Amino acid sequence: MTMINNTSINKDDSSLVMAHMWVAFVSLFVGGLMGLLQTLVRSGTLTLPFGIGYYQILTVHGVILALVLTTFFIIGFQFSLMSKTVGMSNKQRDSAWFGFWIMLFGTVTTAVTILLGKASVLYTFYAPLKAYPTFYIGLALVVVGSWIGCFTNFRQLYVWKKKHKGEKSPLLAFMVVINMLLWFIATLGVAATVLIQFIPWSLGMVDTINVLVSRTLFWYFGHPLVYFWLLPAYMAWYAIIPKIIGGKIFSDSLARLSFVLFLMFSIPVGFHHQLTEPGIDPVWKFIQVVLTFMVIIPSLLTAFSMFATFEITGRKKGYTGLFGWIKGLPWKDVRFFAPMVGMIAFIPAGTGGIINASNQMNQVVHNTIWVTGHFHLTVGTTVILTFFGISYWLIPALTGRKLTAKINTLGLIQTIVWAFGMSIMSGSMHIAGLLGAPRRSSYSTYGGTEQASEWIGYQIGQAIGGSILFIGIILMVYIFINMVFLAPKGHEEFPLAEVSDDAEPTPMFLENWKLWIGITVALILFAYTIPFIDIIQHSPPGSPGFDMLIR
Amino acid sequence: MSKSKHKTNDVETFSEKEPELKGTLIAVFGLGAFIVISWIIVYVLFVSR
Ligand code: HEM
Ligand SMILES: [Cu+2]
Repeated sequence: MTMINNTSINKDDSSLVMAHMWVAFVSLFVGGLMGLLQTLVRSGTLTLPFGIGYYQILTVHGVILALVLTTFFIIGFQFSLMSKTVGMSNKQRDSAWFGFWIMLFGTVTTAVTILLGKASVLYTFYAPLKAYPTFYIGLALVVVGSWIGCFTNFRQLYVWKKKHKGEKSPLLAFMVVINMLLWFIATLGVAATVLIQFIPWSLGMVDTINVLVSRTLFWYFGHPLVYFWLLPAYMAWYAIIPKIIGGKIFSDSLARLSFVLFLMFSIPVGFHHQLTEPGIDPVWKFIQVVLTFMVIIPSLLTAFSMFATFEITGRKKGYTGLFGWIKGLPWKDVRFFAPMVGMIAFIPAGTGGIINASNQMNQVVHNTIWVTGHFHLTVGTTVILTFFGISYWLIPALTGRKLTAKINTLGLIQTIVWAFGMSIMSGSMHIAGLLGAPRRSSYSTYGGTEQASEWIGYQIGQAIGGSILFIGIILMVYIFINMVFLAPKGHEEFPLAEVSDDAEPTPMFLENWKLWIGITVALILFAYTIPFIDIIQHSPPGSPGFDMLIR
Repeated sequence: MSKSKHKTNDVETFSEKEPELKGTLIAVFGLGAFIVISWIIVYVLFVSR
């Protein structure tokens, strides 16, 4: 170190990452508020004022939390990892900023359109619901901006590798590049449907839209999207948490292998979101279901690897017995506790995912609020709590401040509040869903049918859980403000774990990018080519837009 | 560098330091059981509807 500086990475890179964090935390607040309103409306507690529609707030909630918060946090976090492990040149930083501004401009464009009530089409924007063109144009800009981020990251690793011939890339840089590859390949699908289908249709240049093609392209993107959220959390689990708990990375090869498997198996599987959709050959649905189940392998590798890291670390600290090592974990350190609760949530979350994807069994849960319960565990708990866990050290490390004992305690409380509120909300959603309650619906007694009366207790459960969660959001926003402006100046560690001495050396073939990209593309072509041709050839007539339907 | 010597060295450190992972084994089994049981519950619901 040549310069005395409180920030853990250089000042310029810090500002870049912090810009992303600001967007993420503002989104958290706005989106969380909408979530609270939704639960209150659904339970019949509240009627929205000023002619605001239920689908308007639900669109804000879905877009701003699932698309905006996640993308900005992830890209910002990944820039911090790249800056730390392989470095960032001035030119690369400029292009990163350029990508950021394009994404932000796109976000604002889309957000304004939704807030004006011109795009209540939900975050999946299924045709034939039609939004005002600026909704789609804004989204396209977010994607284009994120691509600039992708290529900046690719370039960073490329430059590093040229300087370090024959060395394996740093683990976290490897992981970031895998995630950005996944994102780039996946967003090609959504970019295609938005540019070729939605924008011309919404501008009135064409009258109709091929609904099934648009939904297929959307889900070609939609499933890898969830892995784009999850992999940064896994980066923290594999390569940062071991350091926080005073241990080492269990195995560098295993971590890389599981990331490679996620890249290969998270894309050719979009049909598992379209299992009830007519017009897709059931044989190809089945094939994609089988491919979906392949992701269980890297998921369980990850679970095993985490348990092993915890057990080895606990035992090294002298805790014995079958499960004594659990006591050796730093439960009072929020940098560990928040992501750990996230990991625990992934047990029911992942299980629910297996149930959703089980072909015919999907009929039990499809379009019920069970699905909403499911992804509030996956992205709304596992991913978000890990992101919070990252923020507790990342934000102070970027702003040159300390994570104080007080904020640490508040963070522990925040985590417990979140876990408690979510258990109630998501638990009610899961049960109500199994009883048939639909998702994406405002308050209704459904003409007084008996079945609907079974749901209302669970709707109230969701409102109670949602209100507790909103307290969690306020706490987190306060914590963020504290770490940015109020906490005392100081140096906060950027925790990067080392690989265990027991681990086998990483074989070089794991770095064979051409091979991994080749297999990924081959699997996509295999899973999609024939059914996609089939979909196009046997399409029903295109649909006109329905833009007045759900105002 | 002699390859065989390297090998024996490796094996020695391996057997000395092989970490104890009994808890991990049970935990992963428990996780598997949780998945299977939850799956069966929804499966029964599916079949009975
Ligand atoms: C205060 C916390 C939260 C509350 C109270 C809440 C509540 C809700 C409710 C009630 C719904 C379902 C509405 C319906 O289907 O009619 C919903 C949907 C959704 N939530 Fe949340 N949520 C919260 C946090 C989050 C977070 C942190 C994320 C993601 C990072 C998230 C992502 C989503 C998504 C993607 C949908 C689906 C929207 C759609 O179906 O179009 N939520 N939320
Ligand atoms: Cu999926």
